[in-house]
Amino acid sequence: MNPIQTTLPGLTLASPLVLASGILGLTASSLARVASLGAGAVTTKSFGVEPRAGHKAPSILPYEHGILNCVGLSNPGVDQMIREIWAYRARSVVPIIASVFGKTVEEFGVVTARALEAEPDMIEANVSCPNVAAEFGVPFGADFGSCAQVTGIVKKNAGRIPVAVKLTVNCPAIGRMAGVCEEHGADVITAINTIGPGMLIATDVRRPVLSNLTGGVSGPAVFPVALRAVWEVRKHTTLPIIGVGGVTTVDHAVQMLMAGATAVGIGSAVHYGGVDVFQTINEGLREFARANGLASLGAVIGTAHSEPPPRGSGA
Amino acid sequence: MMTQAVPPASGMLRMCRILEVVAHSPVLKSFLVPRLFDALPGQFVNLWLPGIDEKPFSISGIRETCMELSVKAVGPFTRRLIECAEGEWVGIRGPFGNGFPLEPGALLVGGGIGMAPIRFLAQMMAERGLPCTLVCGARTRADLIFEPELLRWGCHMSTDDGSCGTCGQVTDLLDGLMAEHPASAVCAAGPEPMLLRIMEFADRWSLPYHISFERYMKCGIGICGQCCVDGSGIRLCIEGPVLNRDQTRLVTEFGLPHRDASGLRPGTPASPLGKR
Repeated sequence: MNPIQTTLPGLTLASPLVLASGILGLTASSLARVASLGAGAVTTKSFGVEPRAGHKAPSILPYEHGILNCVGLSNPGVDQMIREIWAYRARSVVPIIASVFGKTVEEFGVVTARALEAEPDMIEANVSCPNVAAEFGVPFGADFGSCAQVTGIVKKNAGRIPVAVKLTVNCPAIGRMAGVCEEHGADVITAINTIGPGMLIATDVRRPVLSNLTGGVSGPAVFPVALRAVWEVRKHTTLPIIGVGGVTTVDHAVQMLMAGATAVGIGSAVHYGGVDVFQTINEGLREFARANGLASLGAVIGTAHSEPPPRGSGA
Repeated sequence: MMTQAVPPASGMLRMCRILEVVAHSPVLKSFLVPRLFDALPGQFVNLWLPGIDEKPFSISGIRETCMELSVKAVGPFTRRLIECAEGEWVGIRGPFGNGFPLEPGALLVGGGIGMAPIRFLAQMMAERGLPCTLVCGARTRADLIFEPELLRWGCHMSTDDGSCGTCGQVTDLLDGLMAEHPASAVCAAGPEPMLLRIMEFADRWSLPYHISFERYMKCGIGICGQCCVDGSGIRLCIEGPVLNRDQTRLVTEFGLPHRDASGLRPGTPASPLGKR
């Protein structure tokens, strides 16, 4: 028995680590490479009905404690992503999650229906991109009604394919938002997307650096926020959670599980730990399971909510 | 012989002023900026013009206190960049990528503005007393960069119109040079059709090769996936841009139009062909 195996609706993952959307997810070859390096599942870059170039450079900017990005949903469009997912599936048995977005509720429905042609293992509705407000308006994930509508149409059009909704902390209450998603048919909650947005100024020229002036914040800086969000989602729903946000170490991954995540997203950590980060954290998780006498890591999921401290811990 | 790897790039932005501008021609210029870090030939930086755009450029040389970037005006950004003057602020992120190995006895081949990293490589090999044979190709004499320096180094030149050196393509020179003086390896940068011919040449002579490829790049830090090549999926901004034979063998997209900012390859038919 693989101690780090985990499950999501309809899926068995050999590792709880899921390549997060937006990272190395543009092409079949890139996704297949990440899968071969130890990801339990991979998520495509979010795609919509039409190709989008996204914002100009600089659109990705590391700073001392994380990374800002205003990529702006660049993607080659659903036609091309269907090809990429097919090509991926010919090369890898690791589950693939198709991340989709729409400018309108209807577009979410259309892109979901089209994405089914690729037979992904799961559809993830990205209702939480912080970089397209000027064009798209307030993210769907910031409003209970809009989020409910998107969840409903994606679920309806996804048929038998499980649906995850990727939430933002930029909303009145992420726990309640997750509850709304559950009521409207979501099978999984992915939490969280980048936070902020944030800004960095080049003082020498007195000007923001990112082309779109602001960008979502990811990386180690956001980990505590993401962890708290996963905790809240767990309080409000019984749905499985993919906990994403600043996970760069084994301990972060374990914390995510203890807060209630069933799987753990890996994104910016690829910058800090290289593509080997999946292998590194997998090994650490196996070691954690061994050291704690766990037959399965599943035994720690959500334990920070209820369990008394282990005996002899001094707590 | 591998040069020592530099520490992993943080990818953070650093601002500096342009120290000096060297005009090679109206459309070819070199910019000297402070030496913000050590780098290897073949590595590149992302250069930001505040409020305009950010693009990757190979480092064309490093001296004691400065680093050189050489630019050909080919698009809106580079046309704006070559108008920049001494004292203007630019942002630099890098160094990115792996760089060329230093192979004593190698043939170093540069085509057009691809001469930029090859010139840095030649410079570093000369400093370390490592022998090499330098070959440079360009469309016309006006497209040559570093001409006086290259002549001083005994560089073999070719131009498409014969305005400098041999008339023809740079690859036409290689078999002759090889017959005369067998090389140990080939290091090359330039337009992709030239690079593919160099790969054929190297295969014909069973020579190891290290070739620098270009693709659309965004982050430089190995996360966006924009520069992943089809086939192996490796990232040109991290595992590249310099690939060896084992790595190029796994690439399936050479010679095709490059994927654009959206990730779409120009010329891709609209309706999906993928299904079964």
